[in-house]
Amino acid sequence: MPFSAWLGPDDRNWLKAGARTALSGPAFYVALSLMSTGALARAADMPPGAAMLATALIWAGPGQVLFFGALAAKAAPAAIALAVSLSSVRLLPMCLSVLPMLRGPRTRRWVLALAAHFIAVTVWTESLRRLPDMKREGRMPFFFGFALTCVALTTLASGLGYWLTAAIPGPLAAGLMTLSPFYFLAATARAARDGADWLAIGAGVVLAPLAEATVGGDFDLPLVALLGGGGAWLVGFYARKAAA
Amino acid sequence: MSLDPVAAPYLAVVLLGFLPSEVWRWLSVALAHRIDEDSEVFRFVRSLATALLVGVVYKIVAAPARELAAAPLWARGGAFVFAAAAFFGFGRSVFAAILAGEAAVIAEAWWWG
Repeated sequence: MPFSAWLGPDDRNWLKAGARTALSGPAFYVALSLMSTGALARAADMPPGAAMLATALIWAGPGQVLFFGALAAKAAPAAIALAVSLSSVRLLPMCLSVLPMLRGPRTRRWVLALAAHFIAVTVWTESLRRLPDMKREGRMPFFFGFALTCVALTTLASGLGYWLTAAIPGPLAAGLMTLSPFYFLAATARAARDGADWLAIGAGVVLAPLAEATVGGDFDLPLVALLGGGGAWLVGFYARKAAA
Repeated sequence: MSLDPVAAPYLAVVLLGFLPSEVWRWLSVALAHRIDEDSEVFRFVRSLATALLVGVVYKIVAAPARELAAAPLWARGGAFVFAAAAFFGFGRSVFAAILAGEAAVIAEAWWWG
């Protein structure tokens, strides 16, 4: 079956629009910030191809950092899998807040599963920002155009990082290291649509240091999510009720 | 383990990296068909994920890589205030925020490096 038989001209236009949006910034931000995974792979005695495969398959940054870090530390395989899985629990609410926007009445389950694969912070935050104002039939092709461009560029970058990262001078390396926090925060703030979103961001800023200081370690993130995010939703819920 | 040493790294990526993280995405697909875009559940998970993201960012900043570890916490936090000022000053510009934040961090890493 030729490509054009299952992608109409409108679909292809949406796909290209998604790719263009990615190339207008996001794909470069995520590619540059995940270049360091190449260096992490090298430190773990892994080949450059494994760094590229990890970017294409794991995609989420924290999961990759943990994966290569645990390998370098010669952790037991089961411990590595568990650590990666725990760091990826956050993908669940991320996917759940994007997939309902992509889904149409006739969307196949495997297409949604394929879409879910590409959801990590970059694709999540740009989806929250751009999909709601888009016609439903354009959302899925736009999403894939955007996501595939980001993953492709980042996969190349993580291969390059295997050789390049060691040659980058300290201050610039620090810049690369902090690129993703700046981008993630700014893009999430850009995607904020109402007071509840801003409240969730603000609550996170206040609660994250508090939770780390009190609960600490592995249980502070769920606490920040439930208290901060849940609280922000509750306030929004009552605000909508009062307005109705 | 008696594994082909050439294939082993790739197998490790699939078994210990890909599958453990992908199960959460598959679970979301199983749950997503029950969630409507305009429902309160949808708003709730969106809020949850937003607060979670801020928590993840804080972890990255609070436990920095060695290149930035020499810069004191107030300077690292200050870079974010600077980025936020650029973000709002330029009409919620993501690019301005990144540019300002990166400039601050690179200067700090050079100064304390």
